[in-house]
Amino acid sequence: MHNKDCTCWNCPAIDLVGKVDFRACGQSVEDFRKRMGLEEDSFQLIAECKRRRELGLFDPMSVTFKECPEWEKTQYGYLLKDMRVMILGIDGYLGWALALWLGSQGCQVSGVDNYSRRDWVKERGAHTVIPISRMSERLHTAKEVLNIDINYREIDILNERDRLKEFIDEVKPEVIVHYGECPSAPYSMIDADHAIFVQKNNVLGTLGVLFSMKELVPETSLIKLGTMGEYGTPLTGRPLFEGMFPADAVLQWDNREWSLGGELTPRDPVSFYHASKVQDTINIYEACKYWWLRSYDVMQGVIYGVHTEQVSADPRLRTRLDIDEWFGTVINRFVAQAIIGIPLTLHGSGEQIRGLIALEDAMQCMTRLIASPPEPGQYAVVNQMSGYYSLRELAKTVAKIGKEEFNLPVKIQRVENPRVESERHPFEPIYENLTKKFGFKPSVTLEEEIYRMFKLFIQPDIKSRIEEKKHHIIPKTWWSGEKRKVETIEILK
Amino acid sequence: MYEKKLNREKRTVIIGLDGVPFRLIDKFTKNNIMPETKKLIEKGTFKQMESTIPEISSVAWSSIITGKNPGEHGIFGYTDIPIGTYRLSFPNFNNLKAPPFWQKDSMGRSIIINVPSTFPVKPLNGVHISGFVSLDLKRSVYPDSLIQKLTDIGYQIDVDSSKAHKSIDLFLEDLDRTLKSRISAYKYLWEKEKWQTFMLVFTGTDRLSHFLWDAYENENHKYHSAFTKHFCQIDEVIGEIVNNLYEDDLLILLSDHGFELLEKEVNINYLLKKNGFLKLKPESRRSFADMETGTKAFALEPARIYINLKDKYPRGSVKKDEYRGIIKDLTSIFEDLELKGRKIIKKTYRKEEIYKGPYMNQAPDLVLVPNKGFNLKASVKADQLFEKSIFAGKHTQHDAFLLINNLAEKNILPDEITVSDVCHLIETLQTENMNLRRKIDA
Repeated sequence: MHNKDCTCWNCPAIDLVGKVDFRACGQSVEDFRKRMGLEEDSFQLIAECKRRRELGLFDPMSVTFKECPEWEKTQYGYLLKDMRVMILGIDGYLGWALALWLGSQGCQVSGVDNYSRRDWVKERGAHTVIPISRMSERLHTAKEVLNIDINYREIDILNERDRLKEFIDEVKPEVIVHYGECPSAPYSMIDADHAIFVQKNNVLGTLGVLFSMKELVPETSLIKLGTMGEYGTPLTGRPLFEGMFPADAVLQWDNREWSLGGELTPRDPVSFYHASKVQDTINIYEACKYWWLRSYDVMQGVIYGVHTEQVSADPRLRTRLDIDEWFGTVINRFVAQAIIGIPLTLHGSGEQIRGLIALEDAMQCMTRLIASPPEPGQYAVVNQMSGYYSLRELAKTVAKIGKEEFNLPVKIQRVENPRVESERHPFEPIYENLTKKFGFKPSVTLEEEIYRMFKLFIQPDIKSRIEEKKHHIIPKTWWSGEKRKVETIEILK
Repeated sequence: MYEKKLNREKRTVIIGLDGVPFRLIDKFTKNNIMPETKKLIEKGTFKQMESTIPEISSVAWSSIITGKNPGEHGIFGYTDIPIGTYRLSFPNFNNLKAPPFWQKDSMGRSIIINVPSTFPVKPLNGVHISGFVSLDLKRSVYPDSLIQKLTDIGYQIDVDSSKAHKSIDLFLEDLDRTLKSRISAYKYLWEKEKWQTFMLVFTGTDRLSHFLWDAYENENHKYHSAFTKHFCQIDEVIGEIVNNLYEDDLLILLSDHGFELLEKEVNINYLLKKNGFLKLKPESRRSFADMETGTKAFALEPARIYINLKDKYPRGSVKKDEYRGIIKDLTSIFEDLELKGRKIIKKTYRKEEIYKGPYMNQAPDLVLVPNKGFNLKASVKADQLFEKSIFAGKHTQHDAFLLINNLAEKNILPDEITVSDVCHLIETLQTENMNLRRKIDA
């Protein structure tokens, strides 16, 4: 078990109640969450367990998860019994799938949403090609089919902070998973209103969450969705480390050398949406430093796929799936294009390389992160991806499966690139933390998940929903501000 | 001021001065820094008193208030590792296995202020404000209704000792603020509450001595006058209390242990590691949870040695028939320990020599008492045997004090008095008084 040696120091069920220097028979009334200086190394932090009050006061580092009966062995490591997990953005593609996944692991799931994803997609004239029902019906079905109770509250986390605080205070979540942001680069590039909205919604919404956590649940871990797009694709070819430089990284300049170990790596976002994620990174990093909050910032690769055991259990439990130019991700869009006979669209050269992860594997990663909370004050980053491919390779894979398994005549086309990005670039992502520290092993191959997607999309009701909105697949949003459909450069053989 | 009444109970007042040695009181009364205390000594009984082993406030005050030795009251130090775990726990009032004297009917209504290791408070006939370690005011005060008043007067449970790491001046300011808030609280309760027993402990004396014992010993030290000023202030309070007593009230002044100059800190767990008795995981976070199988012994603060017995601890590896041999080996290592020709350990006690009672199983197997100037520590983080820290003073075992007024029968005190005798003394005197009262009433 990868987290067997984690201790109560990591556990959100712990109240840190005091700071004592037994050598001087002294205690301190100073806020013990302030980072301790070297001179205070002798202070002993004292904890109380919220779940096992009978333990009295103790050193939080002296009890391991393995020894604590509140932490139970699961296939994802030791997991806190009945762990209270709050998902912000529970109605979304990832949020809903995670809610069902964690519910089936025995977590007590609560969630918040204001249906803005539904509204944004509707505003653009698109829709989810996998139909989803109203939240009340989703909750009812989760109970009926999977026996999962979800404590849901409709809240706008940006504009209804008091209500969010009230809900947090009521639930006292031990983990908050933050999916509650606008996840679209093209949406943020439509015009000034959209750019301002995305940055305000994402950055200020998250800032409010940080303040609420500080006030109400400082021991709770925050697992926040970032994106590999925060790093961009630097032409220097330097590795894309997991958020921070490793201990042995060195900067050389002017015949001098500096260690870079532990510093945030440079970010090179590729849209105003990605820039909002970078600002989130900085704000979370600071909150962990100032207030001893704890967080994993999840730099997720491009997500794709439709399957988890829970969402596949009943058509009414399916999670949404978008294929439009604003909210559709690359593989999801390719499979939809293949189904209705539109050539798969590569932007520019199609040589851009992206890290990817399937929905099911993303859920596994999140569960493993939830099971191993960070230490107080710890800000850590994981690059959440299971492999990386050029867009051209991905298109070929989709075309091959479509052709061989479903007898579809799939073509690939190169179109003008509406984005400002490197079309040919080095790419060396480092994605070791999840496998080495959290025991992640991908459970599904690219081909397997693409096959599952074809199987689902080929169903008449879904195919007709794709047909209905096919005019929204080809991009019209240019980073330059132009509003025109991209032209086809070439149909590939 | 109180008027004398004929039909009243004789009252008991106990003033504790944490960590104040007999010889400091002797010196400060002779040189008139504590003139009020001097008057008490002239009329009363003033004796040197042995502390507990180890000479730790939590252990000593637990013995003072219960009259029991650690084997009976279950408190062996600030830290403990419960049997069957390696959880480093911090015993508190909930873990005290013997009742404090104020829970006895004969003591009447009691006001108890700032007795160390009495957090969290429990209901009693009277008022209780707990002392170090008290983590929040809510669980430190009985009854709850008093919390607002204490908040209004800015009551501080203890001086913030982290300030001393930043600036001695800041620490002294906070020490003064804490003392003044304690004085305000005692005055309020003395006047507003009805009581038969009043116990007030000053703990700033101990904190001051930890950081500035060198200033006490050296009259030219920058902070010498700050040190003496603190004792002057306490002496004034003592005078004030004496003036408010009836002639036949019982007044006891006492400390829990003494103090002396700290020359070197000695890391006992480092010694155990070096000699192969303590084994931690190679990449240890330096916590007791990282103890590996193969560990034969470990130490808890200040120098309580526990044998890692099989069937007693999760990764215990010492069989019962190996116990004596290991005790012997350890004793020999400790007794041979020297620094520049000076023996560090004065005496190594086996638990049977110093403890008795139902909680012997939780007692350390060995307890070390150091020679003058050496402060024993049990941090698992230490990576050297000897250290010099910012602390100037350290506790001593033999040099606490006891001062009693109105002790008609001096033979009630044993020749060699220890802190465990105090409770019995209080109860005896109080019972005598009750019997006398009954006779008068009859």
